[in-house]
Amino acid sequence: MLLAVAVAPLAVACTTPPAPLPPDPLVELAASARADAALASTVAEVPSAAEVAKNRGEHAKLLQAEIDRERPPVSSSAPVPAAPSTPPTPPDPAAALRAALDTSLRKASDLVPTLPAHRAALVGSVAAGCASLLEVLA
Amino acid sequence: MSPESIAAVQVALGTEHAAVWSYGLVSAFLAQQAAGVAEGANAHRARRDLTERWLKDNGATPQPPAAAYLPPQPVSDAASALTALVAVENDTCAAWRSVLERTDDQALRKTALEALTTAAVRATRWRKVAGTSPASISMPGVASG
Repeated sequence: MLLAVAVAPLAVACTTPPAPLPPDPLVELAASARADAALASTVAEVPSAAEVAKNRGEHAKLLQAEIDRERPPVSSSAPVPAAPSTPPTPPDPAAALRAALDTSLRKASDLVPTLPAHRAALVGSVAAGCASLLEVLA
Repeated sequence: MSPESIAAVQVALGTEHAAVWSYGLVSAFLAQQAAGVAEGANAHRARRDLTERWLKDNGATPQPPAAAYLPPQPVSDAASALTALVAVENDTCAAWRSVLERTDDQALRKTALEALTTAAVRATRWRKVAGTSPASISMPGVASG
């Protein structure tokens, strides 16, 4: 009886395909960073837009490196996340850039309490970097 | 609370003591920035008090302040005063980021993130006042950032 109980779950385990991993929460942060950098690149008339583009580009690179470290891309042909297409220039570019950074700051901050420790530090610095850019634009 | 978390918070407390001391030191040279200096000083005093209470609540003895702190360069005018403020804000960023790396406690993570973020914003503000370009750093709290 004991044996049967022990074996049954094993049999189930063997026939059930492994559940797909939940999406990496950093993927969304990396996408936001790329989108902010792309937006900043299209609104060059906003003072300090280049600083936003550069810093958010660095965030994207660091976040993507952590995503790839934890789950290495399956093959060398794994799609590198496409650079977002050039967004249209918004009517109030400075306000749009601030709103985008504000959203990114909130997304990063919300993740910090629950991430594994090394990721909490990475994402914490990304959040602080977004807050710093908002101060630059202030 | 793990000894590692406590030790990281003690280091952060040390940087808050240094920040409180430094804001006092520079105030005479930054009369034009009195409001900003007062805000920074108050923020660090509040953070220091909170951190001391947190340590006591977790059974640790908060490390006392040093008698004095050495700024990275002598403070003799507005420019060197701003340099000293940017330096202490960067130090607090690094210490609180290090707390993030050393705890799984969600409340402590929130506190550390808030301390890291507000210090990074003040560092940026002081760099702006000093005319430093770029005024921000991309990864506050990271040594090479």
